[in-house]
Order: sequence, then C-alpha cells, then structure tokens
Amino acid sequence: MAAGFGSLLRECPLLLPQNREKSVYEGFVTAQGKDFHIRILLPVDLQLKNARIQCSLQLKKVLSGYQQILKQRLQHSSDLVSFMVELKTVLEAALKNTREFQSPALPPPQHYSGLIRDIETLGWNKVVFVDPTFTTIKLKAEDSCGRHHQITLKLNPKYPTEPPDCLVDLPVQFTVLVDTQSSLLSIHRQFLAALESLKAFWNALDEIDEKTWVLEPEKPTRSATMRRIAVGNNVSINVEVDPRHPTMPPECFFLGPDHVVNPLKMKLNSNIHMWDPEASLLQNLKEVLEIDFPSREALHKSDFSMDCGICYAYRLHGAIPDQVCDDSRCGQPFHQACLYEWLRGLPSSRQSYNVIFGECPYCNKQITLKMSLKKS
Amino acid sequence: MQRASRLKRELHLLTTEPPPGITCWQNEGHLDYLRAQILGSSDTPYEKGVFDLEVVVPVRYPFEPPKIRFLTPIYHPNIDSSGRICLDVLRLPPKGAWRPSLNIATLLTSIQMLMNEPNPDDPLMADISSEYKYNKQAFLRNARQWTEKYASQTTMASENPDEENHQSEASQVKGSNASQKRKGSNMSGFSKKPCSKT
Repeated sequence: MAAGFGSLLRECPLLLPQNREKSVYEGFVTAQGKDFHIRILLPVDLQLKNARIQCSLQLKKVLSGYQQILKQRLQHSSDLVSFMVELKTVLEAALKNTREFQSPALPPPQHYSGLIRDIETLGWNKVVFVDPTFTTIKLKAEDSCGRHHQITLKLNPKYPTEPPDCLVDLPVQFTVLVDTQSSLLSIHRQFLAALESLKAFWNALDEIDEKTWVLEPEKPTRSATMRRIAVGNNVSINVEVDPRHPTMPPECFFLGPDHVVNPLKMKLNSNIHMWDPEASLLQNLKEVLEIDFPSREALHKSDFSMDCGICYAYRLHGAIPDQVCDDSRCGQPFHQACLYEWLRGLPSSRQSYNVIFGECPYCNKQITLKMSLKKS
Repeated sequence: MQRASRLKRELHLLTTEPPPGITCWQNEGHLDYLRAQILGSSDTPYEKGVFDLEVVVPVRYPFEPPKIRFLTPIYHPNIDSSGRICLDVLRLPPKGAWRPSLNIATLLTSIQMLMNEPNPDDPLMADISSEYKYNKQAFLRNARQWTEKYASQTTMASENPDEENHQSEASQVKGSNASQKRKGSNMSGFSKKPCSKT
C-alpha cells in the first residue's frame, strides 16, 4: 500500500488522501497543463468498483460523453494508481477533442456583470429578448408617433470595447457611433434619434398604407421604401420614396394600359411644379395626378378549393367537379370533362377501355379517370 | 367553354391581387387578347424598365398555354428580336411543361424570373447568350442600354420639369415606333388564326 501511495504521488502529486483510512482523496488531476479539481470517495473495503468520483463543473463538462468509458475503467482498474493513469489518458483525449470543436472560451464573468449593469442603466423594460448566452439582445423603442420598433444586438466577447452588430428594420443604414466604450444606453439613444429622423418618412407611408389600396408589398416592413398603389382597374403607380426626403417627389412608374397611363404621365410632368413639400406625399400625389386613389376593395376571399382546378369554375354545363386527386396532400377537384380533355392530349397518359391513367396536373401523382358511359 | 370561366376568374385575380411587379389587363373588346407589363427587378440590368407584353389566349386554353410575347425590345439570351420567349412552361408537353395548374399570373411570374436569371444553355439568341456566358460586363452594359432606350419611363423628380417633359416624350415616341414596327410585322401571323368571340 505504501508503494502504491508512492506511485500515486508520482502520477498525481496533487491528489492526497483526506483521512487515515485513505477512503477519501481530494486534489487536482493535471492534463495538458491544466489542473482539474477532483474528489474520489472509496467504500470501506477500498474497492474501486464502488468508488464515487466527484468532479468540478469544468471537469464534468470536459468528461461529459466519456462517463461510460470511465465507469468501465473503474471496474477494470486494480488500484487507484492505475485508474488515475487511465483517467489522465481519457482526459487528454477529451481535451483534444473539445478543443477542436469548441468555439473560443466564454468571456470572463466581468463581461456579464458589466452587461447586467449596462442593461440596468438602460432599464429592463426596454429589453424584449435575451438569449441564454447573452450574445443576442433585442431592445424595443417607441418613436414619438407611437410606432413600435425593435433593434437586435449581436454582442461579441469584446463588448463594450467593440460595438455590437445591430440589426434594424430601417430604410437607411444604421451604424452605431462609439467614442471609447459603447453602452446599451447610448446605442438605444442613437436608435431613438434615427427613428425620430425617419418620422416624416413613416408618416407619409403610413398615410398611404391607410388610405389607399397598396398592392405590394403585401405587409410592408418599416424598411420598405416602395409602394405599388392601385389607381384604377389594372392601373397602378409604383412609388419609391426617399427616406431622407419623404416630401419630395418620389420616383414613379406607371403600370397599366397606355390610354390610362399616358394621361397620368402627362399630368405628372405638367403639374410637377405644383408639388408642395409642405403637404403630405399622398396629398401631393392626388393634386399632381388629379386623381382620387380608390380604397382597398373588399376582397371577398371566396373559397376556391371546391372549384375545378382546370376551368376554375364550380359548374360547367351543370356538372360539378366530381373527380378528385387521390393524393391526400393534393386533393384537387376536377370536372370529369376538364380532366379528360387534359389527359387525352398527353403522351404520358394511357387509356384502357373507359379508364384513363395519367398524372394529376397539380401534384404529378398517378390519377385514374373513369369515364361514365352516359356522358360520352 | 373552359376558357371563358377561367379568364373571368383570372382577370379578377390579376386586378385585385396582381403578382409583384406585374400587371395584366384585357384589351378592350377582345376576350382573347391581353396586355401585360413587367417591371424589371432591381439588381438586374432591366431595373426601372417597364416591359410590355402581349398575351394571346387560344381557344383551347387552358388545355393549351397562352402565347406570350414581348412587345418592348429586350436584350436577353432567351428572348429573340421579335419578342418570342424560350421558356418551357410556355409550351405543351412533351417538349414543354405547360399544364392547366399554371395560369397567366404564374407564367408572367416565370417570365419575370427568366429575366432575372437567364438560361444561356438553352439560348434563342446565340450572340447574346455567349456574351452573357463569357463577357458578363458587356452583356450587362448592353442590356442596361436597351432597357434605358426602349423600356424606361423617365417621368419624374427632375428639377426642370420642362426639360424632363421633352425628354420623356422623345423616348416615348421612339419606344412606340419600335413596338409598332413589331406589331406590324406580326399582325399577319395573328390574322390567319381564327378569332373567335364567345
């Protein structure tokens, strides 16, 4: 036993027995120049099989995934020394592997305490979201017109000496200015200032979104500078608003038939001198084009799912769609006459008596069409 | 029969929910002759261009695809000098990929996508295609020039409205000349086909 203890000292000089019975060892195991805190509890008979090993959090992390191997080694080791040799080998391997896969170490605790202080200065009520590693923070802000905005910050470990990456929904570039150190408070203030500077732009577009029929974008984001506004049947005007000069004439394109669009173009050209930067964008467009924009047509989104996928109607000469694609994800209905007309022209279909085998024009799955004889 | 009910529904949808950057409307008095416009997408050489197209809907539609052709000259590997478009969904199987689950809106969207992403391996214009493949800079320059020359709608936001007016008129005259010429050369082709009004 004394010899055993001597070799243990050689192998792990930092691991020492904690009691006379030598049933408790505590100390450090060294691998790759690093010391890991460990505690080994042996049962009364000092059999390794039933030993308990307590590891520091760090060691536990490194050894996670190797527990099975360690348990096995524990079973097979004749004494503590040989187990410690095994443990060291496993630890070396584990460290090598984690180094290859693991991203750079987490920043020191001061980083986080600083960050918490930072958030407290700003106020937690402005924080919408923080991810578990504190690398992504979302802040909210309200401009003086009551519009809600969000800014997403991606912090790197060098924060606050390096400013975070900011993701915003603004029509202009947003870069954070940093003097020596950035703080969330100053970023939030700069964000608010940027929001204020765009107030007129959003006022102009909000008025358009509210009072006209905007065909696209369907759900405009705060950064969207383009609007396609319906002028009349199949006539629309595309305006591209300069976020810095929202009251100046925007860039316009007209879409639609010439006989409607050309007069509009001419009016735009001849009335452009009437453009009044004091008035709102919508008001100006109305005055200059001498039109009233129609409001959104009440779209009765009728349910198309019952209609025939080929003729887009429900009733065709009195017939209703009675053929349905068998594929449950498709389930497209067709009139027998429509499906027959399509399938019979295809080289990929084949007919056997009154049954046609072909492909569903919607999902390409096999579709079978039985022609009822009375129809033909 | 199927054509009438389909067109009715399609035209309604094209009016109320047009695809992004696309308009399509019925020419007065014609059921089977539609006009369409595609706005060139940003970050393409067709940016800020408004391209006119004609859509002829055959009697057997939707069992046959509509015939779509550019009226505005466009510099593109897959669109020839008379505006014909090389695109599989515009042709019937087995050579093409038309099927009745497609419609005019999806075809126009496909054409818009073809404008954004030319397919030089299936060219209609061999010269433009090899230029697109081997001398992209020159292709972009030419395509942009054509867009400016034939498809631009210079209307707006100039400090001197008079001058602007003049310019846009000039370019409009040019543009309509070109499209008239094209229409003329193709009219004969269309008049041969039976024009059924239902």
